Amino acid sequence: MSSSADNELVARVVSAQDTAAFGELVRRHQSHVRNFLRKLSGDYTLADDLAQDCFIHAWEKLQTYSGRGSFIGWLLKVAYTTFLQSKRSAKRYAEIMTSAGHVADQESGGQTRPDDEFTDLEKFLAVLTEEERAIMVMSYACGLSHREIGDATDLPVGTVKSVIFRGKEKIRNSFDIKDHNHG
Amino acid sequence: MTSKIIIMAERIKDAEDRLLESMFASPPLADDGFSVRVVRKVNRRLWLRRLTLPAAAVIGGAIAIKPLSGLVALLSSLSSLVPLDAINMASNSIPQFQTIVLGAILLAVCLVGTRFLED
Repeated sequence: MSSSADNELVARVVSAQDTAAFGELVRRHQSHVRNFLRKLSGDYTLADDLAQDCFIHAWEKLQTYSGRGSFIGWLLKVAYTTFLQSKRSAKRYAEIMTSAGHVADQESGGQTRPDDEFTDLEKFLAVLTEEERAIMVMSYACGLSHREIGDATDLPVGTVKSVIFRGKEKIRNSFDIKDHNHG
Repeated sequence: MTSKIIIMAERIKDAEDRLLESMFASPPLADDGFSVRVVRKVNRRLWLRRLTLPAAAVIGGAIAIKPLSGLVALLSSLSSLVPLDAINMASNSIPQFQTIVLGAILLAVCLVGTRFLED
């Protein structure tokens, strides 16, 4: 996916509020964003709703995209922020309901799945923290560089590397994967 | 130079990295009207934003009409206390009230029209 074409579309959107150009940007990147949010949330319907919110946020603050780094990196930053905001508001809602005497629904829409319905990847992701999961998905599913992940998560590159190292170690320990690291 | 080395180091992947990449890989998702839905939402927001200012102006005007007419009535009743000579002098020096109001309405209509044309 050419970044110069992305930058051209962004320029058209910012200068003339061109919704057709924005639609083209959405078409080009919806798959990455939706896949990222699906892996992060584990809920396809929620992920697609969040992806829509993410693109609306992106439309509103597209002028803040400086062109430094890839557009998909910037977009995944918006997606990650949208995901964290939704988690925070869901948590607040659950707290209010609990304090009001209601039993909080389960996070995944109140339905549980039997263990064998989870894919290997979902099992892998389950042992990671939210931050580790986001960084691992950005790195291994979206192919972002460590610097791009650092920009997207507002973390230093060194921290990104250590989070990836820790994530790999957790997966290795939990699933008895042989260490192929030859340096 | 240092950044080039870092990028090179990132590109050197071991078997574990390749295994994880294949585990994390997922087929591209079909658009299935997703982008159309997003653009429709964006268009709706744009229109809402364009209509907000004129709508607020109309509502504000409607709310302001009653106190404004009260104020005009009060001013006209006060005018009886002012000497007739002073009123004549003032009316000669400033345009009529109706003219001012008409001018203000025309100006507002022109501004809103220009804004719509720009959009």
